[in-house]
Amino acid sequence: MKRFLTLSLAVLVLAAFVAAGEITLNVKEHTLGNGMKILMIPKPGVPRVVCHIYYNVGSINERPGITGSAHIHEHLMFKGTRIMGVTDVEKDAAVDRQIDEVMDQIYREKYWKTNGDPAKIAALQKKADELITAEKQYIIKDDLWGLYMKNGGTGLNASTGQENTGYYVTLPSNKVELQMLLEADRMQNAVFREFYSEKDVIMEERRLSENSPGYFFNEQVDAAFFAASPYHWDVIGWMDDLKKVTKTDLIEFHKKYYVPNNAVAIYVGDIDPAKIIEMAEKYFGRIPKGPDVEPIRTMEPPQYSEKRMYGEGPAPTSLQIRFHIPAAGNPDAAPLSVLAGILGAGGGGGPRGGGGGGTGRLNKILVQEKQLAVNASASSRSQWYVGVFQFSASPRLDKGVKPEDLEKEIWAEIDKVKKDGVTPDEIQKIKNRSEAGFIRSLASTSGMAGSVGRAELHRGWRSILEDNEAIKKVTNEDIKRVAAKYFVKDNSLTAIYTRKTGR
Amino acid sequence: MKKTLSLLFVVGILLAASGLAQVQKPGDLKFTDLKYDPPDPKTFRSVLANGLRAYIMEDRALPSVSVSAIVNFGDLYVPAGKEGLASLMSGTMIRGGTKTKEGTAIEERIDFLGGSLGFNVGERTATLTLSVLSRDLDEGLAMFFDVLMNPEFREAPFNLAKARAIEQLRQANDAPSQVLNREYEKVLYGSHPLTAMTTKKSLEGVMPADLKAVHAQYFNPKNIILTAAGDFSKAELTAKINKIIAGWKGKDVKLPAFSKTFPAFAPGVYFIQKAINQGYISLGHLGLEDTNPDYAAVQVMNFILGGGSFTSRITTKVRSDEGLSYNQGSRFTYRWGFPGTFAGYVQTKSSTVGYAISLIEAEFNRIRKDPVSDAEMETAVNYFIDSFSSQFEMPQAVMAAFANLEIQGKPMDYYKTYRDKIKAVTKAKVQEVAQKYIQPDKMAIMIVGDFEPCNKGGDKWAGPLDKLGKMHRVNLIDPLTGAEIK
Repeated sequence: MKRFLTLSLAVLVLAAFVAAGEITLNVKEHTLGNGMKILMIPKPGVPRVVCHIYYNVGSINERPGITGSAHIHEHLMFKGTRIMGVTDVEKDAAVDRQIDEVMDQIYREKYWKTNGDPAKIAALQKKADELITAEKQYIIKDDLWGLYMKNGGTGLNASTGQENTGYYVTLPSNKVELQMLLEADRMQNAVFREFYSEKDVIMEERRLSENSPGYFFNEQVDAAFFAASPYHWDVIGWMDDLKKVTKTDLIEFHKKYYVPNNAVAIYVGDIDPAKIIEMAEKYFGRIPKGPDVEPIRTMEPPQYSEKRMYGEGPAPTSLQIRFHIPAAGNPDAAPLSVLAGILGAGGGGGPRGGGGGGTGRLNKILVQEKQLAVNASASSRSQWYVGVFQFSASPRLDKGVKPEDLEKEIWAEIDKVKKDGVTPDEIQKIKNRSEAGFIRSLASTSGMAGSVGRAELHRGWRSILEDNEAIKKVTNEDIKRVAAKYFVKDNSLTAIYTRKTGR
Repeated sequence: MKKTLSLLFVVGILLAASGLAQVQKPGDLKFTDLKYDPPDPKTFRSVLANGLRAYIMEDRALPSVSVSAIVNFGDLYVPAGKEGLASLMSGTMIRGGTKTKEGTAIEERIDFLGGSLGFNVGERTATLTLSVLSRDLDEGLAMFFDVLMNPEFREAPFNLAKARAIEQLRQANDAPSQVLNREYEKVLYGSHPLTAMTTKKSLEGVMPADLKAVHAQYFNPKNIILTAAGDFSKAELTAKINKIIAGWKGKDVKLPAFSKTFPAFAPGVYFIQKAINQGYISLGHLGLEDTNPDYAAVQVMNFILGGGSFTSRITTKVRSDEGLSYNQGSRFTYRWGFPGTFAGYVQTKSSTVGYAISLIEAEFNRIRKDPVSDAEMETAVNYFIDSFSSQFEMPQAVMAAFANLEIQGKPMDYYKTYRDKIKAVTKAKVQEVAQKYIQPDKMAIMIVGDFEPCNKGGDKWAGPLDKLGKMHRVNLIDPLTGAEIK
């Protein structure tokens, strides 16, 4: 087994071997002159390479009026550049500009005025439709996607989260250069063609969420729980903003966040790091550095009083109790994570709980012993800037149990933890699960690329190992302390949802 | 100030871009050759004690081990009137304990080790899976085989699982996508074990003795294929397993036979009312089996039609050109021993339901009428060939894939010959299978949505929906009462 990397040329390669038990997470790093990070994890075997690029931007970087932009932008990144998706770039740009001008007039009539003229809007829309049809002759549909597919790209996708955005493809190991060329090209030369029909697509995407039972209520619960921080809105954004956001808004968004100093590229699989670095220098290295990006400003203020919400609709009757907790990296994050595991882990759920499985305290007591709940779980999400600890449970309606009954039961369990803590076996169980979970996570190349690449954007990829170490040090005293500190009414939101069948 | 800077910055980029006449276009890239041969199933196959077949792969990359038992038993084998037996078995195979251990003790121990032990009954196979760190292999294997050979389905955990399963029936008609998938199959296959529905009544009729009987009948070394991958020596693992299963007698298992003819359904529109703001749509009919000689050609054809995401016609038309939907396409599903289903699918706002359906129908007709282009063929064929190796990344998944080939009686050279079969597909063959496996005049067009606005339509396609075919209104069944929901 090759344990050490030969440092080649004058490039600075940091080969980091960090032990987690006997297992090492072996990430090679390289920083380009423009600040872009290149991470590499060689994993010989099948001749394929997971190629991901992550940007330090998500829906928390938006503001009212442009909510949903990070995600819209991610869609637009597939609409071409000056060399992709177009037959004649100048002629296309001329038509595209005209479309924007007409759409600007429509938006002013429709959205700026309280009583816009429908006839005028219809006439303008007709003109826009004609121009959109005229532009089609210059557009090569989904050029980048097709090229990746034709070259055996799998796992082809992109995703936008609250905190970051990723662009994914896995290619045969002889074709990594294609990804470098295409990603470097769209980082600096993206052209947002077909902007207006893509907004329609995204509104359909929002409607899909809306039709998922319980979505509207949960969106409101999130908005109430995260009152000030930009976690207030969902990644998809509010429908009004999706309608009214303009191409200019998106171009500004691109200029601000899609700069090499705000990006991490990661390659996992059958790679030669020296070659990856050489290619990265060639394709990403020539992109000019952008202005520094400021992190978000608004965190959650203290709540000072309990919040309660009630809703009804076409989803199972349920209870949620949420508490504000600190962000990832805070010393309290590890004990909270262990506690979530003890209360809610098992039966397929990870160490952070949520599986509603057999051996978590809540499941054992509420589902199995007292038979009051269909399921009961706990999870701890510390997130990058503000965290949430959540209890969830659904009552046994056949036995006449109400969400409020489960609320009392969960508080009784919370009080037990505050007073007596948990058992040494329970803590050890979560520590073992954390270690095994980490080892298993190394088996998936795309999973590894995701967790290492995203971690690098915020606290550095080594934070994965630091968080694992922090879990190993958690004591019963830590758990009692964090339970007492965070599980208090003034820091909570309780949401009760009741099934009501409609038409 | 900042705005001005940004503006200059943009100009800078544009200059750089236009100055980069030497920019390599993707077409200029030259790639070195890459040869890949898939692993050969024979290398991994062995027969353990009592006729238990196994696919085993040593993989020392990480100190962990995965083991699975794939049993030739599934939901489909459950007798009529006992619908839901499979889900109760899934829920109590482990939690119901074994002859010597309480289920909670098994769960506690596996959780404490940071491992996982899971059981699930599928349509025609049931799978028990174990994952442990290699230091816990012996203990993990003991638990795994204890559950596989000696499940007890104890009364208390069984009754709890049953009560929870009944409670969860309340959700059966909540999610529009779930309703659509279930009801679409009911129309296509008609009344058949494939579409049997679990109700409160059928769940109440299942008893622990039924699970024991099923276990005794099917969970037998000759009816199971084992898979294992991870950090062990194959010889040592084999010896350990043979010792554990020494007393587990093999016997020949009689498997049920099923009708493969399905009553023809009336073509037309099948509408299911739900107060939502989109229509969830599937349109099509039965498909084919993946053992059919036309399978490779159908794969290529469907990639071009609507299976190849953004490089497919339906996505280009319905999503990219018209902005009608986020999720759309066409799919052939495959199931062991039966033809699968074919469907064009889309979810779109109520007013564009009819329009989206008409566009998908137009694509069905086009791929039947005209040959596909050379460029479309090239993309599709290259995709299947160049992405082929991606199926072999995870050793445990590869072993499971081989075991599934064998259990389903498929040719063991399936992977070896796959790329040649794809390469052999011609444009003429694509058109031929389009005409054979897409029958626009024999389709069910199923819509889950809000009838009034869907039926009204919009500017580009005005209703009523029965312009698309005879209208059938479908009422859902409440699984708790067995009565139709009006």
